[in-house]
Amino acid sequence: MESTFYLIGIGLFFGIAAWFLFQWAVRSGQFDDTEAPKYRMLDDDDENTPKKTPKP
Amino acid sequence: MTEAPQNSTVHCDHCLQEIAAGSALSTVIDGQKRTFCCHGCLGVYELVRSQSLDAFYNLRSDWKAGRPAFLQVDPADFTPQVSSDGRTSRIDVVLSGIRCASCVWLLEKVVGRLDGVVSARINYATRRALIEWHPETVQLDEILQTLSTLGYTPRPGSQSASIEISAAEKRDLLLRFGTAGFFSMQLMLFTTALYAGFFQGMESRYRIVFQLISWALATPVLFYAGFPFMSGAFRSLKGGTLNMDVLVALGSLAAYGYSVATIFTGGEVFFDTTAMIVTFILLGRLIEAGSRLKAGSALTALAELQPGDALLIDEKGQATLVPVERVLSGELIEVIPGDRLPLDGTVVEGSADVDESMLTGESAPVLKTPGSEVYAGTSSLTGRLRIMVSGDARNTMLSRIVMTVEEAQARKAPIQGIADRTAGLFVPATLLLAAATFAWWMIAKAPTVTAVMNAVSVLVIACPCALGLATPLAILVGTTAVGKKGILVKGGDIFESVSKTTAVVLDKTGTLTRGKPSIVDCIDYGVSGSFMQHCASLEAWSEHPAGKAIAASWKNGRLEVEEFRATPGMGVSGNIGGQEWLAGSPALLERQAIPIDPECRRQADGFEKEGKTTVFVSCGGKVAGLIGLIDDLRDDAVEMIASLRAQGLRLIMLTGDNAGVAQYVAAKCGITEIRSGLGPLGKAEAIRALKAEGEKVMMAGDGINDAPALTEADTGLTLGTATGIALESAGVAILNDDLRLIGTLFGHSRKCFSIIRQNLAWAFGYNMVAIPLAVSGLLHPIVSALLMATSSLVVVFNSLRLRTF
Repeated sequence: MESTFYLIGIGLFFGIAAWFLFQWAVRSGQFDDTEAPKYRMLDDDDENTPKKTPKP
Repeated sequence: MTEAPQNSTVHCDHCLQEIAAGSALSTVIDGQKRTFCCHGCLGVYELVRSQSLDAFYNLRSDWKAGRPAFLQVDPADFTPQVSSDGRTSRIDVVLSGIRCASCVWLLEKVVGRLDGVVSARINYATRRALIEWHPETVQLDEILQTLSTLGYTPRPGSQSASIEISAAEKRDLLLRFGTAGFFSMQLMLFTTALYAGFFQGMESRYRIVFQLISWALATPVLFYAGFPFMSGAFRSLKGGTLNMDVLVALGSLAAYGYSVATIFTGGEVFFDTTAMIVTFILLGRLIEAGSRLKAGSALTALAELQPGDALLIDEKGQATLVPVERVLSGELIEVIPGDRLPLDGTVVEGSADVDESMLTGESAPVLKTPGSEVYAGTSSLTGRLRIMVSGDARNTMLSRIVMTVEEAQARKAPIQGIADRTAGLFVPATLLLAAATFAWWMIAKAPTVTAVMNAVSVLVIACPCALGLATPLAILVGTTAVGKKGILVKGGDIFESVSKTTAVVLDKTGTLTRGKPSIVDCIDYGVSGSFMQHCASLEAWSEHPAGKAIAASWKNGRLEVEEFRATPGMGVSGNIGGQEWLAGSPALLERQAIPIDPECRRQADGFEKEGKTTVFVSCGGKVAGLIGLIDDLRDDAVEMIASLRAQGLRLIMLTGDNAGVAQYVAAKCGITEIRSGLGPLGKAEAIRALKAEGEKVMMAGDGINDAPALTEADTGLTLGTATGIALESAGVAILNDDLRLIGTLFGHSRKCFSIIRQNLAWAFGYNMVAIPLAVSGLLHPIVSALLMATSSLVVVFNSLRLRTF
C-alpha cells in the first residue's frame, strides 16, 4: 500500500508542473493574441530571408 | 490600341503621371484620344466611365500627380518608450491601418527582414507591434519609416487607457482562474477519495494524509485566486456596505476555517467547497472581462477613422506632415481630396464636397465653403481645404462619439440588475440566518461542532455561484450563437430589449424591397429637350436609390450641374444651362411654389396605383415630366413577415414614399399597417407615437437615412452594414443581408431570456428549499457542498443549450 503514497506524489508533481507551465504561458503573453496565430501557421516561411547578422 | 509617336511626354488621363509618349498606351474613347501609363489606369478609367461617373475627372481640380506623401516620423516622439538591455532595444508601438491578417503578415516579413531587426511581432487583436533590434546595426527611425512607407502609421503612446486596463485585468483573471482550476482539479481527486471514505470507511492514516494534501491544495485557491474577493469584501465592509464579495469571502473562509479546525479535532473537511466557490465565480468574471475587451476593440476601429497625421501649414505657407497630436487649436491644416480630416475646425480657404456619413448618417456629400464647420473622420471628396483647427486631437466630435459608445457598452442587461439587487438583501439575510442558526443550536444545547456545522451549511448552501453565473453565461452563449449566423448584437441589454419587443417597424426601401429601383415609365412634357439627359446629370450626385437609378439610365455624357443641392427625404436641385432643375417628391416642387396641374396629378396617381415611385421633374419653374420607378420586393421578405407574425409581433411599415406605392408593397408582402410619406424625422416621430401607445419597438432599416428612427426605437437593427457607425445608431446589425435572420434573432433572444429566467428561478428556488433544510440541521456540510456545485452546473449546462438552435 506504500505505492499509493508514491502515486500521490507523482500525481501532485505533474499537476503542479502543468500549473507552472500555465503560469509561464500567461506571463509570457501566449494568450494575449488568440486571433493571429491561426493565420500565421498558414504562412510559408520562404528560404530567401536574408540572414540577420547580430553584432556581439 | 496603338503606340503613340516618340520623343514627347504625355499625361496619363487617369493618374496624371507624366510618361514618355513612346511608352504610353493610347486608345480612343468617345471620339477623343486618351493616354494611359498602364493597363491598370486604363481599366480604372473604363470602370469609372461605365458607371457614368466620369464627372470625377472634372471635379478633381486640385489633383497632383505622383506618389502620395508619407509621414516623416520623428523618432524623438518614440525614444522615451524604447527599452534596452545593453545588446538589443525594444519598443512597443501602436499601428494604425491594420485591417486583416495579411497586413500582419506583410509587416512582420518586411520589418523582420531589415538588417539588424531581431524580431517583429504584431498583435492582431490590439494592433500593436513589438519590435526588437540591434541599435548598432539599424536605427529606430529607419524601422519607423519602413512601417510608415508601407502605409501603417506608427504612433507613440498607448491605446485608450480603458482597453489597456481591461486587457491587464483579463490577464490577471486568467492567471487566477487557471490557478484555481488546476488546484481544484487536483483537490477533487482527494476529496472524492475522502467522500468515498466517509461512506465506506477508510484507514485513518490515509484519511489524515488526504486531508493534509487537500488543505495544501485549497490554500492557494483561497488566498491567491480568491484574493480579489477577499480585498473586495474588506473594502466593502470598510465602506459599511455588504456585497456579493462579502458572501463569497465569508462562505469560502468559513468552509476553509472549519475544515482546518476539523483536521485537528477529527471530522470531515470541506476544502472542495472553498475551491469550488472561488473557481466558479472567477469563471463568471472571466467571461464578463472577455466580452468587455471584445467591445473595446470594436471601439478602436471606430477611433481609427481619425487619421494619425495632418498637413500642418506654417506662417510661410509651407506644408509639413506631422503627427496629429502635435497640431494645436488655432493652427492651419490642409486636407487634400480623398483624405480623411484629422481634426475638427472651420474652413478658411477652398471648397469641397465632404462625406459626413460616419457622423450624420446622411450619405449625400455636403458642400463645405469658407466658414463651414468640418469634423475629424469625415472625408473630403472633391476639393482641397484649408482648415483652422478648433480643438486638439483628443477633443473632436469623433472622440465624443467614441466616448458615448464606450458608455453605452458599459451597460448591463437590466435582468442582471435583479441578481445584483437581490444580492444586496441576500447577503445580510444569509449572514443573519447563519448567525441565528448557530445561536439556535447552541440554545438547543447541541454540541458546538453541530452548531458550527449547521451554520457553515447555511453559508455554503447560500453561495451565490449559480446566481452570479445565471445571466452573463446565458447572454454570452446566446450572443455568440447568433453571431455565428451573422447577427451582431451590441450588448446584453440590447439582446434583452429584442426579446421584449412587441412591434417591429420595417423601413420599406432597402429593407423590404431591394432598394434598387428601375425605371419603368417616363412622361416628358416637352418643356426642354433631351429630358432624360438633364435628369441623369442632375441625379449624378444623388445618393437616393431612385436618383441613382435615373443617373445610371443615361450613358451618353453628362451636362454641367451648378449649385447642386440634395434635400434629404425630398429630392435634388441644381442649375443646368442657366435653368433651375428640380427632381424629387411633389413636396419639393411645392416648396419652390411650382404649380402641378391636375392632368399631371392624375398621371402620378396612376403610377402610384401600380406601385411605382414617382419622381417629379421641373425645369425653370414648370413641371417638365414624371419618372415612374418600381422597386421590387425582396425574395425573403414574405417569409420574414410570416415568421414575425407567427411570433405574435405587430408589424408596421414606414416609408418616405407616398401612400399608393406603400399600399402596393404592403399588400404584396402582407403588412396591414402603413405610415407613408415620412422623412427621416417623420419616421422617428412615428416610432415615438408607437412607444407612447406602450409598444416596445424594434426598427429595422438600412442604417443610413434611418439613423434618427433607429436611435428612437427601443432596438435598432441594420442590414448589410457592419461599420462601427451603423452599430452606433443601431444595437443589432445583420451582416449577410438575409431578412429571415430577423425571425431567427427573435426566436433566439426569447429563448435566451427564458433560459435566464429558468436559471434565476433555479438559483432562487434552490436556495428557498435548501436553506431551511440547512438551518434545521438536516444537511451535512458535505451534502450542501455537493448541492451547491450541482446547482452551478445546472446553470452552466442549461445555458449551453443555447449553443444549438
